[in-house]
Amino acid sequence: MDWQALQVSDGPKLRTIYLNQPDMNAFCKNGISTAKYSMWSFLPRYLYLQFSKTANAFFLFISILQQIPGISPTGKYTTLCPLLIILAISAIKEIIEDYNRHLADRLINTKSTVVLRQETWQSIMWEEVKVGDIVKSTDEQLMPADMVLISSSEPHVTCYIATSNLDGETNLKIRQALLETAKMQTEKELSELSGKIECEGPNCHFNSFIGTLHLNDESMIPIGPDQILLRGTQLKNTQWIIGIVIYTGSETKIMQNLVTSPLKRSEVDKVTNVQILLLFLMLLVMSLVSCLGALVWNDKYGENIWYLKNKDSKPSSFGYDLLVFIILYHNLIPISLLVTLEIVKYIQALFINWDEDMHYKEKDLYAMARTSTLNEELGQVKYLFSDKTGTLTCNIMTFKKCSIAGVIYGNQSDTNDDSTENLGQFPSPVTPSFEFNDPTLLMNLENNHPTKEYIVEFLTLLSVCHTVVPERHGKDIIYQASSPDEAALVKGAKKLGFVFKTRMPYSVTIEAMGEEFTFEILNVLEFSSNRKRMSVIVRTPMGKLKLYCKGADTVIYERLSENSLFMQETLVHMEHFAKEGLRTLCIAYADLKELEYQEWLMKYKRASTVMLDRTENLEECYDSIEKEFLLLGATAIEDRLQNGVPETITSLLNANIKIWVLTGDKPETAINIAFACKLLSSQMPRILLNTNSLEATQQAINQNCQDLGTFLGKENDLALIIDGETLNYALDSEIKRKFLSLALSCKAVLCCRVSPLQKAEIVSLVKKHVHAITLAIGDGANDVGMIQTAHVGVGISGNEGMQATNNSDYAIAQFSYLEKLLLVHGVWNYFRVTKCILYCFYKNVVLYVIELWFAFINGFSGQIIYERWCISLYNVIFTSLPPLTLGIFEQCCSQESLLRYPQLYTISQAAEIFSTQVFWFQCVHALIHSFILFWMTSKMLEHDMVLQGGHTTSYLFLGNFIYTYVVVTVCLKAGLDTLSWNKLSHLAIWGSIAIWLVFFTIYSYFWPTIPIAPEMTRQANMVMICPHFWLGFFMIPTACLIQNVMWKLIQNTYKKSFLEEIREMESRRTRDLSAPQVLTKRMEGSLPNSLSSQPCEIVFQDDSVQQNTPYGYSFSQIEGTKITQEELIRCYDTSKNQSKKHSNIDHLDVIYE
Amino acid sequence: MAMNYNAKDEVDGGPPGAPGGAAKNRRPDNTAFKQQRLPAWQPILTAGTVLPTFFIIGLIFIPIGIGIFVTSNNIREIEIDYTGTEPSSPCNKCLFPNATPCFCTINFTLEQSFEGNVFMYYGLSNFYQNHRRYVKSRDDSQLNGDASALLNPSKECEPYRRNEDKPIAPCGAIANSMFNDTLELFLISNESQSTPIPLQRKGIAWWTDKNVKFRNPPGGKDLEERFKGTTKPVNWVKPVYMLDSDPNNSGFINEDFIVWMRTAALPTFRKLYRLIERRNDLHPTLPAGQYYLNITYNYPVHSFDGRKRMILSTISWMGGKNPFLGIAYITIGSISFLLGVVLLVINHKYRNSSNTADITI
Repeated sequence: MDWQALQVSDGPKLRTIYLNQPDMNAFCKNGISTAKYSMWSFLPRYLYLQFSKTANAFFLFISILQQIPGISPTGKYTTLCPLLIILAISAIKEIIEDYNRHLADRLINTKSTVVLRQETWQSIMWEEVKVGDIVKSTDEQLMPADMVLISSSEPHVTCYIATSNLDGETNLKIRQALLETAKMQTEKELSELSGKIECEGPNCHFNSFIGTLHLNDESMIPIGPDQILLRGTQLKNTQWIIGIVIYTGSETKIMQNLVTSPLKRSEVDKVTNVQILLLFLMLLVMSLVSCLGALVWNDKYGENIWYLKNKDSKPSSFGYDLLVFIILYHNLIPISLLVTLEIVKYIQALFINWDEDMHYKEKDLYAMARTSTLNEELGQVKYLFSDKTGTLTCNIMTFKKCSIAGVIYGNQSDTNDDSTENLGQFPSPVTPSFEFNDPTLLMNLENNHPTKEYIVEFLTLLSVCHTVVPERHGKDIIYQASSPDEAALVKGAKKLGFVFKTRMPYSVTIEAMGEEFTFEILNVLEFSSNRKRMSVIVRTPMGKLKLYCKGADTVIYERLSENSLFMQETLVHMEHFAKEGLRTLCIAYADLKELEYQEWLMKYKRASTVMLDRTENLEECYDSIEKEFLLLGATAIEDRLQNGVPETITSLLNANIKIWVLTGDKPETAINIAFACKLLSSQMPRILLNTNSLEATQQAINQNCQDLGTFLGKENDLALIIDGETLNYALDSEIKRKFLSLALSCKAVLCCRVSPLQKAEIVSLVKKHVHAITLAIGDGANDVGMIQTAHVGVGISGNEGMQATNNSDYAIAQFSYLEKLLLVHGVWNYFRVTKCILYCFYKNVVLYVIELWFAFINGFSGQIIYERWCISLYNVIFTSLPPLTLGIFEQCCSQESLLRYPQLYTISQAAEIFSTQVFWFQCVHALIHSFILFWMTSKMLEHDMVLQGGHTTSYLFLGNFIYTYVVVTVCLKAGLDTLSWNKLSHLAIWGSIAIWLVFFTIYSYFWPTIPIAPEMTRQANMVMICPHFWLGFFMIPTACLIQNVMWKLIQNTYKKSFLEEIREMESRRTRDLSAPQVLTKRMEGSLPNSLSSQPCEIVFQDDSVQQNTPYGYSFSQIEGTKITQEELIRCYDTSKNQSKKHSNIDHLDVIYE
Repeated sequence: MAMNYNAKDEVDGGPPGAPGGAAKNRRPDNTAFKQQRLPAWQPILTAGTVLPTFFIIGLIFIPIGIGIFVTSNNIREIEIDYTGTEPSSPCNKCLFPNATPCFCTINFTLEQSFEGNVFMYYGLSNFYQNHRRYVKSRDDSQLNGDASALLNPSKECEPYRRNEDKPIAPCGAIANSMFNDTLELFLISNESQSTPIPLQRKGIAWWTDKNVKFRNPPGGKDLEERFKGTTKPVNWVKPVYMLDSDPNNSGFINEDFIVWMRTAALPTFRKLYRLIERRNDLHPTLPAGQYYLNITYNYPVHSFDGRKRMILSTISWMGGKNPFLGIAYITIGSISFLLGVVLLVINHKYRNSSNTADITI
């Protein structure tokens, strides 16, 4: 049914691949690129990027304007030079960053693979692989391109692959080659292969493929998704495979799923752009005011001023004047801001890279900031989208606890790991502290505990009832399983002395308590997600017929016989396990009577030969024998979380970050993990959306929205769980908004079974409709979409595929590092960047608005009051250091406090300290300062008689006074803004003042030796011996800043912020664990939406809402492959040492006879 | 739950170590700088911590202010307006264009004697020496004695660059509009007799201007020879090399000219005109009494509502009379002190109230 749909959607773009005719297959290269620029595109793209920034475009415009002769009050190159310097600096930075991306790409593109060329196997690089190539991959290797499986080392020409890179699913998948090609294994056979493959054009659907193989132009053999090995998948448990490449490079499905690498801009960047625009408007207003002033002045005096008369006494035009003033005031927009920010962010990124707390020592991986433009965005994250597998979990399953015959085991294992002596006889390759570790179980076994029988039965079941294949490596046995849960159980049983040793087609051998037992496997009743259980029918060594079953509590309990014991206890235990987020399975068995079994067997054979709806028939048949179970107990498997995940999540939740888990896995698994990592709690009502039509989805969503009533849109202590299919409907444009508002009303959202594209869609939905910063974190290629879509993308590094890392903005090795990344680096960087920006605005307004005040007394002529190059160097030298130290070293409070009080995160999250309001506030401050500076200084020099020799002064004398005071004031203002002074801050603030004074002195010695700045000639001498200069030096900055100090004081005394209290506490060094009372009170108050649970007034009508405790059933197993688990295990005979392969494929037929 | 992480386990169970990216091979050393743990001072701005600063500022600034104020007040200064716009003024007659050259005399009285060096200034009001077109209208190379710039002045000098095909020296609007009134001061010792006060022409310009920034063009001994090929500014009566009889004070290094070329910041400005050196005997430089000022009235200011003044002033260690700085110091000091007091009260009250709040929790 999908076939037609696909053919319609993908159009007629067919591709034909000719076998062994490389010249005829001209498709794209296999090399991939995730870099931003290439050699050729760098210059245009870089320039476009730079000049699309408002500020840079503006300065370019000014630089051009200045070239008009006579128009510029400040010379021709005073803007162009700094602009070029600044562009060069950021170009260097971009090149370095992109170079690293190229390196990472190269790493992938130069991986080697084996390809058949000239009839021999040759090792070539990935990027050299071409469509039509015949590739040989060996175990654990990644596929270099999308291929059609031709043959493999395994029976039934199958192979196992791990697709976690693509879809995030952890279980291994099986692919099976066509029987027609299965024999083609040698170089000769392969190179003689002729014919063609016809298939659909490149598309992004992972789970569909349509193609035909025309072998030797004889027959047409259909190829389906079962024969396809996609790039990014990893070969597992298979010695080798041979495949023909069909899609390469950017045409592979994994690359088709990539959203094109976007150029991300941070929110602060956008706000800054708006503020620059505001400054530009301010500049226009100032220019217009000056123009009007000039009109009025010219009207009043213009005619009469004989000393100014031009030959052409026509007063200059309005437009001309406007340009003059725009050039005069253009420095109001800080030219150095962008480059300052780039330097600041670059160093912030280095700090992230250097952080030892984010150093994963096991693999020697440091955190890596792959872009530095988003540093401050880390401090504003409101929605966190997390992948599950490999991100929250380590992707390792361990048998952790169990309940046998009403006795719980393994409970105390958390606390001690030194009580392992008892297990000494079973050497374990895995560190015991995480494994099942309870000596009492063994003791009960040895000491003939009343429940001994049950324990033996339980462990026997674990070691018999499964589809695991053992593989001997010397003494060790390695279990290969398509289901990691089963592997964990078998491993667990092995540790407890029930070692699964050999699998033969019709029997398994286990070693229990030193003895070997062989169980005849009569039937395997397959697992499916409908049945939620799997069973085997065995004949025990004693000759008894038994049915062993493990499965979900719900399905097992309804099949228990009345005689079954321990039902209540086990249920309680399972609830207990589930609360800890463990995956539980119920374990039960049934004794079968010979007659009954024979009857059933007949039924079974009939069912298995039915042509129509065979699966349904089989399941029905299975069901008929799975009854009258006797409960043995339950197992608890831990899908091991990464270190510190629950703590991190709690911390992030406290920081008012909403966490959504998007996973390709099943709802059960996702819920389990959510419990384990404390995202869900048992008293939290869960809304389950699991429908299969648009109408049903719409109805469910509407009903839930209605039930929420007034709580809709607020944050409730609710969880929403939705699966991929339903999500497809929910993302329909009609109900999208409704769904979103429902999801936003929940504290936690779990999206299960979602495709990579859906992940990206969800993120972009939230991003588009909610004004909040989103962060996506993931480890696999299936997360690339959302990583790229989200405002901030974080990749978990250290996994095989580096796709996620290569497309992320930040790469960390562990999920728990997110805490430090967001709460410390994010908050710091936000404070740093915003302070730096506001300060840059401030200092420029202060200096250049003085030009406006000066215009009022110079007849609005556009005369500058400072020396022209001093104006240019103001931003580049004299006041360039304080913003840098603010941006690099500022710390609002210590790392410890930020981690201990995640609530501090809300300050940066709410963007309180960087808004248009704050910006105007800063501007007003700057205006006041500039006015005080200009007015007081000019008043001081009013009579031009400030020198001891009675000499009179000039306009530049006043200008240098003001300039010096501005530098002092502005540097001290930076000091006031600095919350944490280290030695470099001191150096920057005091150093800047010193640099100006030194420069001033040197500069005034230039003329006439160096022909610039004649008006500065020996100014410094005269200025510095002037007593007024030094008297004003101390008085005027004080006069400016006293009001700022006052403001801060009033704020800190009356409206003390949470941050301020923390800082005071820090300075008092009262770092005891309990915060002062006032503090705790405020901590609660400081959260706008208190996370404490709502009074649960919501009455849910919809039956999709669950409020009970979950039982934590979860099990992963391959489904829906052509080859069943049963067929698979029947192929193995591991008793033989050499080959594990049961070569005869025809064997399959035997089973069904 | 056992969440303490174990290294070996991950290596055993996890995927094989990934090939680290090229950028990851560097190992940062664990310095305080890289871990952002540099020792830092964290100032806390609260009433309690900042209070002393306010008082200290107040206590320092107020005395300084008083000192400056007193110093400024002790300076003797007299200002005579001789614009002549009032009909009663003796210089009124000079406002009419046909009356050139025009002489007028203004009488004035010094109530107190001026001691020490006395400085004579002229002051102009409403004169925009700081106008852009005015300020730029000069050629510093020419004024520095550059031979090529002498004959080919900068374009900035337009429209006072060339006159009748000859380069103007000094070019530009500033030079062209140089102040050209002559002021002479006489002491009326008795009814009929008056003594001229000796006025020094030299030493009124900055030393660096006279010796570094302004230089006559190179060439022979004769000043006129050096300025050959140039013409005088349009408004001038005589060429630049005839500004003074003393060759060391003529040409571009004429001090009156240099003083004028230092363009003022404000439209009301003063320029040093002459020095009256103190006498070696114990008599005051300018004893109290009747004086008169002889003015050769050339400079037109009434067209733009300007005013002209003559100022006599003594000079202290901090220059001329200007009470502003003293007042500013006293004001800032007082504000600071007052804020200190207010904060003290607030702090006291707030602490009380916050204490009670703590108790009620």
